[in-house]
Amino acid sequence: MAIVIIGNPNVGKSAVLNRLSGSNILVSNYPGTSTEISANPVKIGKKEITIFDTPGIYSIFSEGEEQKAIRDLFEREEIDLILNIVDASNLERNLVLSYELMDLALPVLMLLNQIDRARALGIRINEKLLSELLKIPVIPFSATTGEGLQEVWEIMESSSPEKKDKAIKEEGQRNKENLSRGKKPLQECSLNELRMGQCNGHCALCSIPADTCMSYADWRRVEKARTTADMVSSSLGERQRILLEKTQAFFDSSLLGTPVLLLLAYLAFVLLLKFVAISEGPITALLEPLNQTIESFLSNILPPGMLNTILSKAVPEGLIIPFSIIMPAMLMVACIMSLLEDSGLLPRYSVALERAGSFFGISGEAIIPLSLGFGCRTPAIMASRIMPTASQRFIVITLLSIVVPCAATLGILASVIAAFQASLPVIAGTMFAVLMLMGFILSRLMPREDAFIYELPPLRFPLWSNVGKKVKMRFSGFFTEVLPLLLIMSIAVRALLESGFLEIFRTMEAFTRFLFGIPAEAFIAVLVTIFQRYLAPLVLLNLDLTPREATIAISMIALSLPCLPAMVMTVREIGWSGLTKILGLGFLTSCSVGIMLNLIL
Amino acid sequence: MEEVTAMTINDMKPGQSARILKLNRGLQAGRRLFEMGLVPGARVKLVSRHPFKGPVLLQIANTQIALGRKMANSVEIEIQE
Repeated sequence: MAIVIIGNPNVGKSAVLNRLSGSNILVSNYPGTSTEISANPVKIGKKEITIFDTPGIYSIFSEGEEQKAIRDLFEREEIDLILNIVDASNLERNLVLSYELMDLALPVLMLLNQIDRARALGIRINEKLLSELLKIPVIPFSATTGEGLQEVWEIMESSSPEKKDKAIKEEGQRNKENLSRGKKPLQECSLNELRMGQCNGHCALCSIPADTCMSYADWRRVEKARTTADMVSSSLGERQRILLEKTQAFFDSSLLGTPVLLLLAYLAFVLLLKFVAISEGPITALLEPLNQTIESFLSNILPPGMLNTILSKAVPEGLIIPFSIIMPAMLMVACIMSLLEDSGLLPRYSVALERAGSFFGISGEAIIPLSLGFGCRTPAIMASRIMPTASQRFIVITLLSIVVPCAATLGILASVIAAFQASLPVIAGTMFAVLMLMGFILSRLMPREDAFIYELPPLRFPLWSNVGKKVKMRFSGFFTEVLPLLLIMSIAVRALLESGFLEIFRTMEAFTRFLFGIPAEAFIAVLVTIFQRYLAPLVLLNLDLTPREATIAISMIALSLPCLPAMVMTVREIGWSGLTKILGLGFLTSCSVGIMLNLIL
Repeated sequence: MEEVTAMTINDMKPGQSARILKLNRGLQAGRRLFEMGLVPGARVKLVSRHPFKGPVLLQIANTQIALGRKMANSVEIEIQE
């Protein structure tokens, strides 16, 4: 049996699924948390059920990656039940999508989610009447308290493909047959043919049947949704504003809200740097004995020679750097980001910074993927799907790949800067200047339509269990990805150093000195960033650099190519041509930065 | 371009309520307005306006929607109360 969960953004689809299945899907308090369809096998009673969780959409007939993915799902899979998650406190708008779903001629079960919040807001919904009007079962539900869970389970357990309503079954069958014959009877059949901008206003001259035409059918659903919502809901009128709403009003006021948001961001950044600085010493001291044990152990058991030297140096190095530098940064970023997400503050940044963003040619939504990039670029690139157009996505992914430093990069940059007494203001200033310049140029190349529209979720107290779960999931990447990769690459880098292979590049010394003012080996470090940006400093730490050389080399590394996982994600999201452009740009940026700094400093 | 004399969301003051009359936008942007519930007949309330021609914040039913100035300019309204 296959069930698909569909609903507006930020109505709690993933939270419902977590309740139903006990799985750990990341739930956040901003629209667009689930950007991909996930299949979740669940066992209820004796039944094996696959539940598809989908990204939030306002209309399945709209243009867009997510909508297309959902339409493809309907064509590909035999769906037995649509679980329509509806925000009980915002019935009218949610019902528009519900009416679309009911037009698909599949059984629909509606969950009035966040019913507890709606009650707190003084909204009463007559779910019996709603069920009668829509002719589908409607269940008041709360993913937080578990209200309605039993009923949903019962319906899911009792409904089966055989028990599908006969008329519905026949209609679905007819639609399928017509589809194979190339006819367009219902909107379902034109799912993938619908394109925006086709309406010429002359229905008689149009090849699209009036019933499947966007504006007309949409219009009817809006009218129906409004009438139905008016009939079934009643408001208790004036009520006391709760503390949370007062806080929200404060953050949403333009004069006070924005400075406070910026102050919070600054404090979070200071906290991050302080935490990394304070924790590095104790962690290193703690790991030092272990480090020496590993080193002496390896040099004892291995036969003396090059392998011995490489491994006995590289393994402890590859262990201590991730733990002392990257781990604290990743942990802190995970905590800060999870709190911002769960409270609903993150989307408020996108509104407050909309004007600033327009200078970079990106709309306010970009703040979400860009700030996620300070954690890890890979999920951030995926989150760039919330951008309204393809060119905006490209700008965001480019800025993410080249300019925004991830937690791991930040940690390692901080340590290298300290080791060589490189100039932090110069490096940070360079990064900022590149961000401004690159955004400015890209936005002039790809002008955007000023069409900023964004739904703000209500402010919430973060759920500690939720925040904890998210920190854990974010942080698990440290052990599965960062640690093994760094260990392997540390060995490779050490091998490269010990083998004397780098001596070849000494011939380039004159060239790199003239152009960038850095020794050839430091330029190798820049080239190493192709594999993983936070590896490059491993090479640097083994060199003897002056502060000036270090400043230039670190700036070049900080502004270069994305790491391997980020590249893989980029190909998945915008294809090889997009990645090629970004790599070219990254290389160009890195070299220009080197040349410029060599001239200026 | 036809002359626009009607009031738009940009003419609203914080705290004011209005009813939407018409959307003067092309299909693509119009559809995004429609998706968010900004359809003719809907009631909106202006929560706040961000300075420097930043976005405006609207309340529709129980959701808050942030709208860029250009978008706001294309939504014709009629002030209520």
